[in-house]
Amino acid sequence: MTLVAPSGDTAPPAVHSPWPGLIRGTFATAACLAALAAMMIDLKMAPETLLSGSSKLGRFIASMVPPSDGGDSLRILRSLAETFAMAVAGTALAIVAALPLGLLGAKTVVSNGLLHFLFRRCLDIFRGVPALVWALIFISAFGLGPFAGVVALAFADIPNLAKLFAETLENCDRGPVEGARASGVSKILEIRFGLVPQVAPVLASQCLYYLESNFRHAAVLGIVGAGGIGFELDERIRIFAFDQVAFIVLLYMLCVAALDFVSRQLRARLA
Amino acid sequence: MSAGPNSVVETFELARRRGLRRQWLQSGLGLLVFSLILGVSFQRSQLFSSEIGGDPLGRIGEFLVRMTPSLHGEVLFESRSTPGSLASWYYDLPVWLAAIWQTIEMAIIATVLGSLGAVVASLLCASNLMPWRPVRFIVRRSLEVTRTMPDLVLALILVAAFGVGPLPGVITLSISTMGGLGKLFAEINEEVDPRQLEALDAAGAGTLNKIRYGVFPQVLPAYASYGLLRLEGNLAAAGALGIVGAGGIGLELQRAITYTEYNTYLAILILMVSMIFLIDLLSETIRHRLIRLDEGGQ
Repeated sequence: MTLVAPSGDTAPPAVHSPWPGLIRGTFATAACLAALAAMMIDLKMAPETLLSGSSKLGRFIASMVPPSDGGDSLRILRSLAETFAMAVAGTALAIVAALPLGLLGAKTVVSNGLLHFLFRRCLDIFRGVPALVWALIFISAFGLGPFAGVVALAFADIPNLAKLFAETLENCDRGPVEGARASGVSKILEIRFGLVPQVAPVLASQCLYYLESNFRHAAVLGIVGAGGIGFELDERIRIFAFDQVAFIVLLYMLCVAALDFVSRQLRARLA
Repeated sequence: MSAGPNSVVETFELARRRGLRRQWLQSGLGLLVFSLILGVSFQRSQLFSSEIGGDPLGRIGEFLVRMTPSLHGEVLFESRSTPGSLASWYYDLPVWLAAIWQTIEMAIIATVLGSLGAVVASLLCASNLMPWRPVRFIVRRSLEVTRTMPDLVLALILVAAFGVGPLPGVITLSISTMGGLGKLFAEINEEVDPRQLEALDAAGAGTLNKIRYGVFPQVLPAYASYGLLRLEGNLAAAGALGIVGAGGIGLELQRAITYTEYNTYLAILILMVSMIFLIDLLSETIRHRLIRLDEGGQ
């Protein structure tokens, strides 16, 4: 028995797969690549369209510097504020509607298995609808303006928040509630001192998180006519005023970063 | 300390009262600021503005009624030309199914391209694999920028450059997927077991071999699981992107709204939601198998 490794190929056999597995792996990879290529051809992702578009995109990007406010920075700031207002109002509406739904969805409240399953699946189905799709409906129902955007944001968030609330309620510790009950207080005080201190910080941090994400969503709702900064952006992209587009996008990113920072601080204090 | 026990209690009580008062003041101030923001927001967003008729709930209800199709039980399975049949509600089903398939294709291609980009970016910004700090910093910041950029704004610009069609949608989704997954993948990379990397170092392996034999076997199941999760999100996003002209089912939704065919909108919406639901179920089962593989393998 020799203790010296054979020279030349030093890779231990354990690293290499046996050849039937190797062949199977190669075939699977080839099949996946072929499927991907077929899909790309089906979507007409040809190199020439990519090239001609890229040269156009390059010109757009070149015209973005230097960013300029187009002499109307007050209007841009006001519509940014409107976007934030839409996010706050939409989140608030969603929270108000999601609290009772979350209660209904929690296994600890509604213990019937079938009802619980149906309700959760129902929420899952609505969770698939993006805010923009809701916005399209509500704009044609309520006309252009931020109101449609607020309702759309709320509708998109309600199933998500309800699911999170339900899960938070299910995951809370029964101990404090039983402790409060053992001391003989009323039902309301039992919830106040047993349940609320456990779930309130978690719920609040989830709500803050949704406020952040709604600020991002609210910005794009304007593109379909729901007011706010998206409307201003859409207008300027249509007339190829990319220096102003760059200005608005940069300002918006700053606002997002600021909101994220504030919300992270608040959430850290809650946790 | 010459103070008696009495004064100790007094100091404690004083401090406690002061603490309580500060707490009350802080929460009162917080509540005030919060309600101010909320009030101004509701005012700015015209939620209860009388100009559009007040009564928001009534208007939502009225609209929902307009969306429901008029189906008649006795002619439910008649041909397309009979008003009130299912076929006349879904009058353009082949076109919609083709658009749905296009949306799925967009999501899959974008997820694959975006994850490939994310893998490369995550290797470049993981502190245990990339020794140069400036490279890590630049890659991390650019990922952050792509995450902050709203999808639809990017899509609008790309539609202006590449023309209406699925291509700008795929590029948009790839970029945002790269931003989102890149950060997650980098976090996974940084949590790999360092002993295997040390062993490869000791065996004299190069960087690529270290990644191939030291990192990938540990992280691939997690990558795949996050990638599938992202695929679900991309499907919904791809559906929405069509609204600004980036291909897929969104284009049909936009068309139905432009012609004020509200019940058609509902029909397409049902198709879209069931597609997302089915794919979610599929990817959930695959993800659970991956997780089990991951746990079984270790």
